[in-house]
Amino acid sequence: MSDTKTEQKLISLKINDRDVQVPPGTLLIEATRRIGTEVPSFCYYPGLSLQAACRMCLVEIEKTPKLQTACTVVATEGMVVRTNTEQVRNARKYMLEFLLTNHPLDCPVCDKGGECELQDMVFRYGADSSRFVEEKIHRPEEKWSELVYYDAPRCILCFRCVRVCDEGMDVKALGVGMRGANSVIIPNREDHLECEECGMCIDICPVGALTSGTYRYKTRPWEMQYVPTTCAHCSNGCKVTLSVRNHEIMRANNRDLSGINKDFLCVKGRFGFDFIQHKERIRQPLVRKGDMLLPVSWEEAAQAAAAKLKEIHAKNGPDSIGFIGSNRTSNEENYLFQRLARATFGTNNVDHHRTVDYTGLITALGENAADSLLTMDQLYHSQAVLLVGNDPTNQNPLAAWQIRTGIRHFGAKLFLINENEVKLHRQAKVFAKVGKGQEAAALRYLAHEEGQLPSSLVGQLVQLKAGLEAESDVAIVFGAEVSGAAIAQLVAFGSRLPGKTRYMALGDYANSRGAADMGVLPDRLPGYVHVDSAANRETFDNLWSSAISSKPGLTAPQMVEAAQSGKLKALYVMGANPFAHFGTLGYGRGKLEFLVVQEMFMSDTAKAADIVFPAASAYEKDGTVTNTSGEIQLLRKGAEVMGTRTDFDLLRIISHQLERAGLGKAFHYKTPAAVFEEIRKAVPGYNVPSVGLLTGNAEPTRIQIARNGHAPYDVPAGLIRSAQDTLFTSGTLTRFCTMMESLQEAEAKS
Amino acid sequence: MELSPQLATRFDTLQNRYPFKRSALIPMLMYGQDEYGFISDELIAEIAKRLELRTVQVEETLEYYSMLHRKPMGKHHVQICTNVACMLRGGNELLDQAKKRLEIGHKQTTTDGVFSLEEVECIGACTGAPAMQVNYDFYENVTAMKFDRIIEELDAGNHPAPEPVTAGALHPRDPAETPVISRRFGIKNSHKLEAYLQHDGYKALEKALKEMTPESIIDEVKKSSLRGRGGAGFPTGMKWSFVPKDSPKPKYVICNADESEPGTCKDRPLMEMDPHQMIEGITIAGRAIGAAKGFIYIRGEYRYVLDIVQTALDEAYSHNYLGNNILGSGFNFDLIVHTGAGAYECGEESALMESLEGKRGYPRIKPPFPAVVGLYGCPTIINNVETLSTVPAILLEGGEKYASRGTPKNGGTRLLCVAGHVAKPGIYEIPLGMNMKKFIYETAGGIPNGKKLKAVIPGGSSCPLLSASEIDIPMDYDSVAKAGSMLGSGGMVVMDEDTCMVDMARRIMHFYAHESCGWCIPCREGTTWLRKMLDRFHAGFGRPQDIDLVGDLAKNMLGRTFCPLGDAAALPTISIVQKWRNEFEQHLSGRCPFKSAEALVGSR
Repeated sequence: MSDTKTEQKLISLKINDRDVQVPPGTLLIEATRRIGTEVPSFCYYPGLSLQAACRMCLVEIEKTPKLQTACTVVATEGMVVRTNTEQVRNARKYMLEFLLTNHPLDCPVCDKGGECELQDMVFRYGADSSRFVEEKIHRPEEKWSELVYYDAPRCILCFRCVRVCDEGMDVKALGVGMRGANSVIIPNREDHLECEECGMCIDICPVGALTSGTYRYKTRPWEMQYVPTTCAHCSNGCKVTLSVRNHEIMRANNRDLSGINKDFLCVKGRFGFDFIQHKERIRQPLVRKGDMLLPVSWEEAAQAAAAKLKEIHAKNGPDSIGFIGSNRTSNEENYLFQRLARATFGTNNVDHHRTVDYTGLITALGENAADSLLTMDQLYHSQAVLLVGNDPTNQNPLAAWQIRTGIRHFGAKLFLINENEVKLHRQAKVFAKVGKGQEAAALRYLAHEEGQLPSSLVGQLVQLKAGLEAESDVAIVFGAEVSGAAIAQLVAFGSRLPGKTRYMALGDYANSRGAADMGVLPDRLPGYVHVDSAANRETFDNLWSSAISSKPGLTAPQMVEAAQSGKLKALYVMGANPFAHFGTLGYGRGKLEFLVVQEMFMSDTAKAADIVFPAASAYEKDGTVTNTSGEIQLLRKGAEVMGTRTDFDLLRIISHQLERAGLGKAFHYKTPAAVFEEIRKAVPGYNVPSVGLLTGNAEPTRIQIARNGHAPYDVPAGLIRSAQDTLFTSGTLTRFCTMMESLQEAEAKS
Repeated sequence: MELSPQLATRFDTLQNRYPFKRSALIPMLMYGQDEYGFISDELIAEIAKRLELRTVQVEETLEYYSMLHRKPMGKHHVQICTNVACMLRGGNELLDQAKKRLEIGHKQTTTDGVFSLEEVECIGACTGAPAMQVNYDFYENVTAMKFDRIIEELDAGNHPAPEPVTAGALHPRDPAETPVISRRFGIKNSHKLEAYLQHDGYKALEKALKEMTPESIIDEVKKSSLRGRGGAGFPTGMKWSFVPKDSPKPKYVICNADESEPGTCKDRPLMEMDPHQMIEGITIAGRAIGAAKGFIYIRGEYRYVLDIVQTALDEAYSHNYLGNNILGSGFNFDLIVHTGAGAYECGEESALMESLEGKRGYPRIKPPFPAVVGLYGCPTIINNVETLSTVPAILLEGGEKYASRGTPKNGGTRLLCVAGHVAKPGIYEIPLGMNMKKFIYETAGGIPNGKKLKAVIPGGSSCPLLSASEIDIPMDYDSVAKAGSMLGSGGMVVMDEDTCMVDMARRIMHFYAHESCGWCIPCREGTTWLRKMLDRFHAGFGRPQDIDLVGDLAKNMLGRTFCPLGDAAALPTISIVQKWRNEFEQHLSGRCPFKSAEALVGSR
């Protein structure tokens, strides 16, 4: 959080005869909250501009003749404030009386009934009867998009939606139309909003004026249970609260403002959960019989898989089998997956689709990594941000939000190096636009003043460098455009800046960082330690009674190529679709002898499989995930889909069947939590306080590795591949998110 | 969208005229509407593109302003004022006549598209009531015959001559008058530079630039005890002295010419007959605070006045009274005239600044005050037309001399426009402190037709009303305040004994409900509730408990709204319920005692 650099002199004031001390600049409404006194308000919303429009927070201040709005008055020394006098109570009561004059009071059918700020306010502060007998103003409901509906009569005109869309999202899809009692919120377009469809406006609405296309008229708030978990889509790891009724997710939001994202969620976090009930979900194990994949019993599928894998292992040796893991499964599942490969089968042929070079970053930072990795909160508080590549608005929405909000709240400065005019360029102090794929060249110039670059770009880079050198606290954020040696150059540049410098690599998918951290990599064990080190292997061999190979395995692209050419005999795929990304596209499994897949949907890879296990999604399991900034958070099971098993269960089942068939040791972890206990002990940097996780917080990992004379780390071209997701795509999951597919904005993007 | 060459040129000029592009939004909408008769989706898109805005930003601004239309209006847009001053002199009857004659209702257009009709709020022609506008042309003292003649001429394709000057501005001087700022009224071509120069024009500016320092200008204004003539009466010199001297930001002067307080029409003649006096005053103010740019924000209805002011600005530029190195002094000052688009709220200084920035006219949170954070976030002083027009005279005759024309703390003279039930409605310049009763009965000629006086609005409809027994008081800021009202904007409206005070309360509330910006709950909902209730009450459907409720709701607004508009709606209402409660009780019988039963049919 923010540094407590200098000791600020506190301001002393009296609120309701109690002495209160607050830092200078504190608004009265915040000062009263400090002592647990509620001053009601609709329009005041922390982090957004002040309005003083709803007049609910009027309080008495001694020596001031009129009542004052607590949301705009700053506490001053010796101020005497009263929030509960008859005058104040009357002001609130009659303000609510005014507010209800044109409100339809249709609470029985209103989505917000039961969790409505207006209801609560009238209950607490309102009059017991109304004196209004005139006709109310009525307007028909409007549909602004598939996701956003507006019911003008319910609107109390607090303008939170307009502000969050403009100030928070930098979208400006909403405005205020008409005036006086006829004032309404108006959308950018009549037929659709032409916006990012984040739904922030819906959840920030204190009443039922803005409602969600996916949730409206479906249920009542008190019929649901609320499950805090982590979003299943991008790598930013927003905390999301699932509202669940009968094991079915009704909506997702984060209205308690907890977690690393506070109230922020993007369209995927808020609306992208309907895939779990999609009719194409795989709900039974499938086994190939001829050209067909036919449903079979769990026993049959598991035994068949174990028997065949054992056979190939015995016949062709450990390295004839490859393992491609997932960017979406939990840390525990990833950990068990690479254990299955390394300990049970004895191969390092284990990898995943890498979307950014975490290994490169951890290696480049070496012994300083633990101290130099940037959290999402630090990104928000950074004085300056250098963003190289990526389009956070589309690919990493929370990171974009943190950057924008830091600029808005603290005047942070943004410096951009990008080949595209990404939306964040609007906020940038310096925008160095580079040629296609030239991010690394720009970094080389920054680090060593080498290379031939256009003079205009050089001018911008010089300006950018001077700007960064003037800051004491710099966040360096980069995407897939920067990998291997280029990261080393970026770190070389960053380490020469006078200020504190911290780094964040922006990957894709919910647990790509966790996959890398857990050692779903051919050359690295969990915690990025190299497989060629006997000491590193020994740690894990002791845990698993195994003999891990010292020979680095094949990467994911190499495995697919080897599978298609028949060099690799068996491939075990968990939650990934490698045939859509690697090898000869369209060639499928080629000459591969045996393919096992754990999946939610019939992906290209699953369709080619010999055995398919129906897997549960992140919303259907417990565990932990690590976001792109290396912060661990809990997954909590919200929903249940009949016929599926978590990948944790599937790996356990397979390990038991293999043990029975005579290969390796069965996994005896009873719960994901038991796996996590082992991870905490065995994986460097993962020994985080578990109480932090339990309270819904993100705990930063402290991974760092010794460089130990290893050669400079570099990666072959094509190994790191961004998913190129937009706000409206989430890899292959998108086409199973019916609601997102229905958006006009999504159509326009694809 | 393909624009006509003239409009394209105008748009090009407008979008490059302001420190921030968006400021051009409202003028562009107004001039675009002038050309096409309404604002189309294509025009919105074109303007949005030119100003780099999203269309919703254009739409939210345009929907705020009552003069901007999204549907085609008639070629001749007939706008009839029924606000208090016009209502007392037949405005409602004129509107009824117009509805019958044109066979259309409020905000409707004839099928042939030639005429459209709108009932409008005060257009600043109170001394010529009843008044109307056809497009931007003013017609005053409109009798039934005059109305028919105007419509016939328009129908025949002719252009009936509008009023040459504000009715009531030119009249034989009353002995009680002390002309200072109105002294050039009636001189031939007084709006032209040549005439202005013949009558002391720009001498004060020359003095300010060559003989005085910014500090001494402010001192002189302080000595004059000049107080704001817009309504609030804040000491002008003190306001100027609040501007930080060491701010690195540019500073601005704004002349508030958004005259729209019902009953007030004194800035209009000041601008149409003596625009150079105002320009000189603004320029001196700019010198006093160290500004290099000023704006004159003129309400949209006063387009012909804007054109006069623009011509005067061109003259001033060509003679180096504006522009760079004015009169060789090294002082640079630019002045831009800017049109509003129909919003009373934009007379509030911070709402005016929002409007000038091309946004909805919402007032701003204070503090900070405009002197520190004003237009574009920069230090700004904003004064009324009359206030700034007084400055040249103060510098010429000296602050003390000017102050001595009035009473202590209430320096000088001011323009009073008196309308309603008086024999000689008009605009009079009188010394502050003159007796109100004397002014009404002698200067304004008393109540016509031998009627008795019932009530007086002393300075615009935002003031509490005074009854006949309360008007024997000196007219200065402090004495009127002591009597429980305000001197306000100088718009006095006099009511005779036949006036229905319930109807008056109703009409006043209609205005505030129409003009409430909608920002804060108590004003937005309170004015509308009261409007509906007073409509019902006046129509004979009142309940006994409604009488207290009217006063109660007004008190619940009072002092709790975001800006003074809520108080402005509450104060006259409270005073009417208190002082004329008996008239409310009379209405409980089911009819208005002041109107025949026939007249009540169709009463709004």
